[in-house]
Amino acid sequence: MLGAIQFSSFAEFVDMGGYGFNVWSVYALFAIFVAVNLILPLRKKQKIFRQLRRRMALDAEIQSEDDRNGE
Amino acid sequence: MWVWFSKLGSPKWFYELSGKWLPWLIAAMVIFMTIGLVWGLLFLPPDYQQGFTSRILIVHVAVAGTSLAFFPLMFVAGTITLVWRMKLADMVAKNAAILGAWFSFITLATGSLWGSVMWGTWWEWTDSRLVSMLFQLFLLLGVISLRSALEDSDAAAKACALLSIVGCINVVIIKYSVEWWNTLHQVSSPVTMDVNSPNGPEFWIATLVMIVAVYLFLSVSLILSTRNEILERERKAQWVQNLVLKSQAS
Repeated sequence: MLGAIQFSSFAEFVDMGGYGFNVWSVYALFAIFVAVNLILPLRKKQKIFRQLRRRMALDAEIQSEDDRNGE
Repeated sequence: MWVWFSKLGSPKWFYELSGKWLPWLIAAMVIFMTIGLVWGLLFLPPDYQQGFTSRILIVHVAVAGTSLAFFPLMFVAGTITLVWRMKLADMVAKNAAILGAWFSFITLATGSLWGSVMWGTWWEWTDSRLVSMLFQLFLLLGVISLRSALEDSDAAAKACALLSIVGCINVVIIKYSVEWWNTLHQVSSPVTMDVNSPNGPEFWIATLVMIVAVYLFLSVSLILSTRNEILERERKAQWVQNLVLKSQAS
């Protein structure tokens, strides 16, 4: 059922039977669409973790300062 | 059932469970995407009428079909939010609107790229399928801006649930537009493994692989953004702080 590769040269592959621009534009758009919607949330997660780490470090610092002042 | 339901509504529980599922979902997504794209770009024979533009359709059909899932999903999530006050459902609805707008836009863009060579036009205002899909994009953009205007209030959840009813009606219109009005956009080919069709079954199998890949991608992306939302809303909770501490250690 799985036929052979439809192209005998790389140039033919790029040309897509004369519809190269449209076919490749669609696949490029799709690739961007998938990549953006996976990478953006992953990067946002890292950012959230960074912010939380900073805030917790700050809280700990304030806490230790309060402890010292309390003595 | 109720214990399970209220557990599922707990952001912490969802965060932990989805964390276990994610690697498997991502692996399945990568496998299906790779098979679908390599098959689509290298092996799929040219259509007997359209030549290689048929390769556009396996992507277009998969994204377009999946884009119809967003409003029903948002309607269910909106109902759960309003009836059972489940914050998690509201987070899902919020992120689904953004991803759904992406899906609708890609559907229109890939369709245009196909139509420009096969129909000889990028856009046709008199075609009901095209216009109703554009309406879905605008409706989703409306939901997104409503949410950002009203923030995370009850009013936002109510307004968005209402808009998703309109969206669901529009989904039915999109689905049957090609049968109700006879315009440019062709009706969907029946899902058939009929070996006598001029193209053989490859197109449908390749399209099905892409549909599975796109649904997996939808799940992965939606879970990732919902998890971020949970982290932000629960940042003061002890379990989130423990997570941060653990990530620091490693």
